[in-house]
Amino acid sequence: MRRAAALLAAAGLAVGVAACGSSKSGSSGGSKTSSAPKLSSSATKASGNPTKGTINWWASPITTSGPDVRKVWIAAFEKAYPGIKVHLISAPTDTDTNRATLTTQISGGSGPDVFMGDVIWPAQFGAHGLAVPLSKYLPKSYWSKFAPGLVQGATYKGQVYGAPLFEDQGFLYYRKDLLAKDHLPVPKTWEQLVSESKTMQSKHQVKYGYVFQGADYEGATCDFAEFLADAGGRVLNASDTKAELGAPAVKALSFERSLVAQGISPQGESTFQEPQSLSVFTNGQAAFLRNWDYAYASSNTKGSKVIGKVGVAPMPTFQGQSTPGYSNIGGWNLYINPHSKNIAADLTFIKWMTGRQAQTIQATKFSQIPTITSVRTDKSVIKGNANLLVVPHTRLVPRPAQTPNYSQVSQAIYQNVSSALAGQTSPKAAVSKMTSSINSALGGGL
Amino acid sequence: MATTVTAVPPRGGPAGASEVVGRPDEHRRRMARLGWMFTTPALLFIGIVTLFPIGFSVLLSFEHVNVTGNGFQLQGLTTANYSLVLGASIWQYALVFTLYYTVVTVIVELIIGTLIALVLERMVAGRGWMMAMLLVPWSLVTVISAKLWAYIYDPTFGIADSILHALGLGNPVILGGNTSAIIAMMVADIWKTVPFVTIIVLAGLVMLPQDIYEAAEVDGASGWTTFWRITFPLLRPTIALAVLFRVLQAFGLFDLPFVLTQGGPGHQTTSLAVLGYDVMFNNLNFGPGAAIATTTAVIVVLGCLLFLKVFRSQAAEEGM
Repeated sequence: MRRAAALLAAAGLAVGVAACGSSKSGSSGGSKTSSAPKLSSSATKASGNPTKGTINWWASPITTSGPDVRKVWIAAFEKAYPGIKVHLISAPTDTDTNRATLTTQISGGSGPDVFMGDVIWPAQFGAHGLAVPLSKYLPKSYWSKFAPGLVQGATYKGQVYGAPLFEDQGFLYYRKDLLAKDHLPVPKTWEQLVSESKTMQSKHQVKYGYVFQGADYEGATCDFAEFLADAGGRVLNASDTKAELGAPAVKALSFERSLVAQGISPQGESTFQEPQSLSVFTNGQAAFLRNWDYAYASSNTKGSKVIGKVGVAPMPTFQGQSTPGYSNIGGWNLYINPHSKNIAADLTFIKWMTGRQAQTIQATKFSQIPTITSVRTDKSVIKGNANLLVVPHTRLVPRPAQTPNYSQVSQAIYQNVSSALAGQTSPKAAVSKMTSSINSALGGGL
Repeated sequence: MATTVTAVPPRGGPAGASEVVGRPDEHRRRMARLGWMFTTPALLFIGIVTLFPIGFSVLLSFEHVNVTGNGFQLQGLTTANYSLVLGASIWQYALVFTLYYTVVTVIVELIIGTLIALVLERMVAGRGWMMAMLLVPWSLVTVISAKLWAYIYDPTFGIADSILHALGLGNPVILGGNTSAIIAMMVADIWKTVPFVTIIVLAGLVMLPQDIYEAAEVDGASGWTTFWRITFPLLRPTIALAVLFRVLQAFGLFDLPFVLTQGGPGHQTTSLAVLGYDVMFNNLNFGPGAAIATTTAVIVVLGCLLFLKVFRSQAAEEGM
């Protein structure tokens, strides 16, 4: 039963990613969409020494409290491959700053050897030659061990640029102690969440009902994509050439704004990134939180006021729609810098990081979602990972990252979402601005 | 007003070498050549470090540019970058916002800075301590002070909201409102740069001749008249200098919006530099980004030249 549900979820992911992806190319100013990856059973031999050398690994912090998973990985890797030294370069936590620093370095001819990059980067990095096409060096047998849809998400024009390291998605975290105390079920619809929040707030059990991300950055696009999909809408049309936001977008954004206006979410939502929303929750001030998989481990680390009181569930949806609600796909891939001097060693590192040992470490000790099917379906792994238990029951929606102009599309979305959340623009005006900015971006505008 | 003094060779110099008309010119020419020899290396260095990147940037603005892993690919001359930038509503907004921001902050800084300088000038004991304390905001790296201001303005645990709440003004999200975000940014900027204006104005003040003031006192001039009729006109070159520096700096506004609001809410606090950063480094659109940078530089240079022309005589008096 669980296996069938897992396959269903995976199929949903594949459909979701493909839905944004496969069509004929447009004009020069328009978006180029990715096609299915062209994988072969043979692979080119990489230059360099596969068992000796130094690797500069650029990765942003994944966990914000407790032991550092990156250091745990490096220690285990260096034990397995004593000839290779991995030097960790800590990247900015803001994914946009991270990318901007990286693209400057790589296009300037320098930069790290291997970098951990966002899942939305393959199109932009592939279009500008800022990452090595890994499908050149790794055969089909390597790629087939990943959960379906992940490899397609890392593909641009038939080449795979990133090796999926961990998959991420939005989860609804809830205070199971408070829900039990008030005899409330885990909400399956947004309307239910709102009424349960009001109950708990009126009893002064929490200050806020629901915290999420709404600042002027990529995270706001993720949260909005979930509300939009719940309302039955989509960002771009099927061929990725025009924005198709419309009435569902107005419904989604109006709901987001109403959460703030009613006091269910803090006024400061328009300035909240992941750390701010998580800290409100771990300080016991909110009943519900939308965040990524690492939040579960963080909520149970020393310093949190809600240790042992947190439950994980799929996202809710709007009343009348089929449950569960949509979770946005996030996660991080490993890419190789084209200027790296020892690509063979980099590939050794990547293969190890996407191998059983590394994937099991992150799944069991850090509540991250592994990308290879064998670890995802391993019963002993699933038992210890609260998020993995929920994953088979979630429904996924990707961001429209198949176009190389994605960063502009995303900017159009998050600027207007943040402005609407702050009450500075009406949701209707915000959506219409979003639409015109997206169309201008896809047409090669500023 | 300067008089030039021509070198006159001393009478009774080396036999046969004096009283020849061409000699002093040749001596001066030799000195000049020597001067050029000594300064050329430094000039070359400055040229490479500043002129080359500026020139390359201007070139980029006139080309179709593609960023690749091996650097820039220039794909043909074009004016499309400029027409794209000048026609974009976001650029027009950024220009208006940057101009408005520059004008408001420079005027406020000028007023506050001059007031503080006037007070400091009268302070004899403790002036050094006051100056040292005043310079702390100026000496802080802007990004760091911006991050500290971000903590102050934070809607959940910031002290600004606590103070406003205690005063009964509610819990506004300072960096989330259209106007409040701009005002908050201006406050952070003014806090940092008032010491700079103070130092420059103070330097000008202490150089003013004291006898004029004594004469004014004898004639019975009031404090305000003294300031407006005597101090201010004499200070004009100094103030012009301070304004020039501040306008140049304020026009390049980047750190504060980048750290505080990332250009938001919406694009309310997107200055020209923030827009250039977004276009170049987030969207990898280097052609239009270079066009933004070039147009900003041209606007600032034209503005400063105009300003200098108006204040030319006073500026020359200062020895600029």
